[in-house]
Amino acid sequence: MKKAVSVVMALALLTMSIISFSGVASAEEVKLIGVIEKIEIKSPKEAVVTLKDNKTGKNVVITVTDDLTLDKFKDKRIKDGDEIRCKYDNEGGKNTSKLFRKTAGC
Amino acid sequence: MSTKVLLSTLFAGLLATAAVEAKEHSGKGYIEKNGYKGPETCEVCHAGTAKQFLKTVHWTHASKVDNVENIDPKQEYGMKNRIYTMCNGNDIVNNLKEIPKAPDAKATKFSGCNSCHPGNHLSDVGSTGPAAEAAIDCLVCHSQDYDFSKRAPYKDDQGNVIIGQDRSTKAALSIAKPTVKNCMTCHEAAGGGVYVKRGFAFTAENDVHAAKGMVCVDCHKADKHRIPTGFDPNNWAHDGLRLSCTDCHTEKPHKEEAYNRHTARIACQTCHVTRTGGSFAKDFTVWEKLSNGYYEPTTLRREANETVPVYAWYNKTVANRPDFIGPKGDRKDSKSRIYPFKIFQGKGYFNKKDGQLLAMDFAPPMSTGNTLAGVTSAANIMGIKDYEPVPGWQTVYFGSNHLVTKAKALTCNNCHAPNGVLNFQNLGYSAEEINKLTNPEVYFEYMAKKQREEW
Repeated sequence: MKKAVSVVMALALLTMSIISFSGVASAEEVKLIGVIEKIEIKSPKEAVVTLKDNKTGKNVVITVTDDLTLDKFKDKRIKDGDEIRCKYDNEGGKNTSKLFRKTAGC
Repeated sequence: MSTKVLLSTLFAGLLATAAVEAKEHSGKGYIEKNGYKGPETCEVCHAGTAKQFLKTVHWTHASKVDNVENIDPKQEYGMKNRIYTMCNGNDIVNNLKEIPKAPDAKATKFSGCNSCHPGNHLSDVGSTGPAAEAAIDCLVCHSQDYDFSKRAPYKDDQGNVIIGQDRSTKAALSIAKPTVKNCMTCHEAAGGGVYVKRGFAFTAENDVHAAKGMVCVDCHKADKHRIPTGFDPNNWAHDGLRLSCTDCHTEKPHKEEAYNRHTARIACQTCHVTRTGGSFAKDFTVWEKLSNGYYEPTTLRREANETVPVYAWYNKTVANRPDFIGPKGDRKDSKSRIYPFKIFQGKGYFNKKDGQLLAMDFAPPMSTGNTLAGVTSAANIMGIKDYEPVPGWQTVYFGSNHLVTKAKALTCNNCHAPNGVLNFQNLGYSAEEINKLTNPEVYFEYMAKKQREEW
């Protein structure tokens, strides 16, 4: 009985560890520089942007929720064709922007 | 609902309405009726303002400078003509122009230091007269509904490079005191990218003044469009108006006398601006190729709030040598106080003949990566014939005056400890003084009392 309890506890611990670590892995921060293909304003609090990754040439869809960047979409300080330096988390399969900046300056 | 509550609610409502009405631009009706035609519309009520604006640094990009060594006090200096390694060019050598198409690029592009100048480029930095007055982009600073996609460079039928403006009635109907957005649209993009040069974001998360809902012009309060500025060692041009923390706060702003004793020799920023950010090093001699086919200077950068400042004595006069631009000051100089700075180091080409930093026209290296061609072009523009470019580094101290914090301000033990925030040896203190200054004896009793009171 004592041995069975130990085995169950060990398994539970292992399961918890796997869940915890997989959680960390899935929230990995990704950095990319890419050009805006499309900006879709979904609501006053959310926009979905398609960036073409300069390195891979593939499109990456990123959700933007910070007010500062959303305001830049609204008044076209950031628009289609702009090159962007972006950091995002891909937790739960959804890419959520953590940093979204135009690369260009004067 | 009681009568008292009802009256209070009504009164509050009236106050709110009055506040909203006070903010509404009094010329709204006129603009609705007549449309917006640029500065001539503004001048109907604000007569003489356009002429006045042409004399400000926002338009001239230069002024006489009286606190910097090794320059001519009779000449004007600013981004119009200065050369230093954050930018390595200026409005003259990097006048907004069409950059030759890079071999791998899809199309040409426009670039220039004066791309933020609030004119239309035909009337450019420092221009005067009726055409210049008519070219002012009042709305880029004053509209809350400006379409920035219209403020882009293009070529007209004659081949002139023009900067577009949003002169729509819609934009003009939202005229107000400039917001943080109006200022930061240009000021955050200086130096080759967002937060590269100054390295601060004026947001509630990063600055206690922003968190209180203040905007840039609450401190940089304009007088006839002249904007007060501080004494950043690398920001020379000014409108003749200066700004300091004591314009709002007193010389003894703390409840604790122990802190107030510091203010004579320690600038407010030293304890209250504990982080800086942006680019800390840049190489103009080697440009990196971008995925779009163009090149840009190799730039090392950090986010706003990610870099620790350095500290130095500063008496608001500036050392200016080819290899160094930074604060002058000394412990023995009673006008000096300890300030925080962002250190930036830039590599450029210096003239072996006279040791001076050479400017670079960005057009050649931007399209081919050939940086020496950029030096040659700039020398031609400036009429410099006798030069021999050799690479070298320059150190620049930028003032650290934003990212103000109250909650995370330095306290006694941050500085008064071995290897603390302040390098007392570099600041001119003797070994004996340092032993005393870095001993908890200096603050222990005070902090223990404070801790007891708080808990």
